[in-house]
Amino acid sequence: MPYRITHMELTIPRVATLRRDPDQAAKDAETADAALAASGDGRAFERLYRTHVARVHSLVRRMIGPDHADDVAQDVFIRAWTKLSTFRGDAAFGTWLHRLAVNVILARRSTVGTERSRIDDSEHVWEGVAGRPAAPEMSMDFEAAIGRLPEGARQVFVLHDIEGYRHEEIADMLGIVTGTSKSQLHHARMALRRHLER
Amino acid sequence: MLTTLATLAALGIAQQTDTTLPVRAGARLEVSNFGGEIAVKTWSKSAVRIAANHSSRDRISIDATEQYVRVKSEGRRGPSQLVEYDITVPTSMALALSGVYTDISVDGSQGEVTAETVEGSVKVSGGAGNVSLKSVQGEVTLEKARGRISLSSVNEAITATGISGDVSAETVNGDITLTQIESANTDATTVNGDITYDGTIKDGGRYRFSTHDGDLRVAVPEKAGVSVSVATFNGDFSSCFPVQLSRKTKHRFDFTIGSGSARIELESFNGDIRLCRPGQLKRDKHEDHDDQEEE
Amino acid sequence: MNDHWTDRLSEYLDGDLTAGERTALEAHLAACGVCRVTLDELRRVVARAQALDDRPPAADLWPGIAEHIGVVSLAARRVDGRGRRRLSFTMPQLAAAAVVLALFSAGSTRLLFRNRPPSPTQGTTAIMTNVGMSPLDARTAASVAALEENLARNRGRLDTATVRVIEKNLGIIDRAIRDAQSALAADPANAYLNQHLAQETRRKLELLRQAATLASARS
Repeated sequence: MPYRITHMELTIPRVATLRRDPDQAAKDAETADAALAASGDGRAFERLYRTHVARVHSLVRRMIGPDHADDVAQDVFIRAWTKLSTFRGDAAFGTWLHRLAVNVILARRSTVGTERSRIDDSEHVWEGVAGRPAAPEMSMDFEAAIGRLPEGARQVFVLHDIEGYRHEEIADMLGIVTGTSKSQLHHARMALRRHLER
Repeated sequence: MLTTLATLAALGIAQQTDTTLPVRAGARLEVSNFGGEIAVKTWSKSAVRIAANHSSRDRISIDATEQYVRVKSEGRRGPSQLVEYDITVPTSMALALSGVYTDISVDGSQGEVTAETVEGSVKVSGGAGNVSLKSVQGEVTLEKARGRISLSSVNEAITATGISGDVSAETVNGDITLTQIESANTDATTVNGDITYDGTIKDGGRYRFSTHDGDLRVAVPEKAGVSVSVATFNGDFSSCFPVQLSRKTKHRFDFTIGSGSARIELESFNGDIRLCRPGQLKRDKHEDHDDQEEE
Repeated sequence: MNDHWTDRLSEYLDGDLTAGERTALEAHLAACGVCRVTLDELRRVVARAQALDDRPPAADLWPGIAEHIGVVSLAARRVDGRGRRRLSFTMPQLAAAAVVLALFSAGSTRLLFRNRPPSPTQGTTAIMTNVGMSPLDARTAASVAALEENLARNRGRLDTATVRVIEKNLGIIDRAIRDAQSALAADPANAYLNQHLAQETRRKLELLRQAATLASARS
């Protein structure tokens, strides 16, 4: 039996207008899967995993490099499973998952610890990136070049230009000031322009 | 199931307890009963008066420290049969009342109230802070309370009026009626029953009403800015005022009124959903019946 | 090439300059061809970043995740060559089990879990066919089945009126679950119906737990 809006359509003509959002069906299904997963439905969670793993794994790889990306990506999903009850369905599931992924990545970084300063402006670090690459394939160049950026600049670049966070948010996440975030972004972009196709 | 006091008296086995204890501010009252009644009222003295009628087979134990006054009904062998408590406490005393075949009532409290029973009604007038009322086979009624309010029944209705704060109401087989509510966060859900909400809709508030087999009637004040999401499988939606849909899929549609800052979620699988202005919901009930005849 | 104009090109690109700063920079750009080229290159870097493809990991990470969160997936059992069926419980599983267990007195716990907690993998088929619910996770189905079993065993402890009330209301909820399931059969991707089914199933679980608490309180 289909849904009916009897009173509205009959008594108030021209007021009810419908704008269909093509993505909404997919988002609805995800929100439903999130609700199911929150109540223990593993298959619903697997569906969410399949939809989002590529993006999460790429984010992890770009932020921390390929070496531990598989482990950290797994950690993201495991953490998402335990935190599902906090997903309120206000925003898209992907947005929530992404923010969680960034938190997991950054938390790991601070526990692993690097002796090298994150914000490394010394010349020799930049030379490695700014030199002309040998490999022919364009997109691999660019991704590889991102990987060769010094850590602080790389993370700012990934968070700002790939993930779309604002400087204020990035500064907050990385524990730096907005000015540093802006200058790191600029350095990263300046270095990466040599790896665009000619 | 409950024998009356008169019967007990006639059998010559009624007994009475009546004792008054001084208490400090901040102490709580805990009453644990099996069959009978717990009725609590308040006064301005710093003392607790415990009066009770019970059969000679039952005993009442009272245990008082600076932090609490603990009252328990005990039977000679197993649970007590019938104890009717009449307790008077300071207005701000926190109350934790529980029973099985017990009706619980509270009048005039300005403190925390927790009341739980199985086969019995819970009726509270007052309460502040945490107010949590539960029954399985019994109505839950609350008025004039403020704070974090949680009302739960299984087989009967929940009624709340003149309350303010965060409200959560849940039952399986009963109606939920919330009127004169001042809240920024209300969640009411039933399986077999109607839900009526006539209260404030505050900016940034969240309101969720959900039933499987029953109607939803929600009042939206004129100046309110709300984003409304309606979902139903087999029901009609209607509104006393014009609304403009922004998104419609099978079974769900959304619309926004004004600033859209409050969020209302309306879900009824098998029932109708109706939005009206405050004060119009009752009148509206009669109109619905007329419309159904036309269909 | 580190003049102060170049340093501000990214901010200009992102719209982070004040109106005055913007005007000044644009005036400079009009006169500085190198800066214009640099600006264009920066734009293309940003565009390239936004066009990057996401690549999934080379290995399928799901089996590892599933094992960790205690969820059974058929793929996992096939892939795991060692054929292990670890019954270690993760925090979420333990927490869920603890909720169920906390509601039981020590006596009833023995009735419910004879030797050890129910294995999510073992009884799956049996539970699924008995309960006749939608394909929810085996763990949830196991919880419901275990509590139903417990209620059947312990209902003698509750008086008949309470039992009747609880069974009547379980029936009401079961009817709602069946309604949602048959609606879903026709429209499986529907978000509202999926959510509604999940909600009613949770409510059934809650009522069963409540019944279990009441029964154990009488022991």
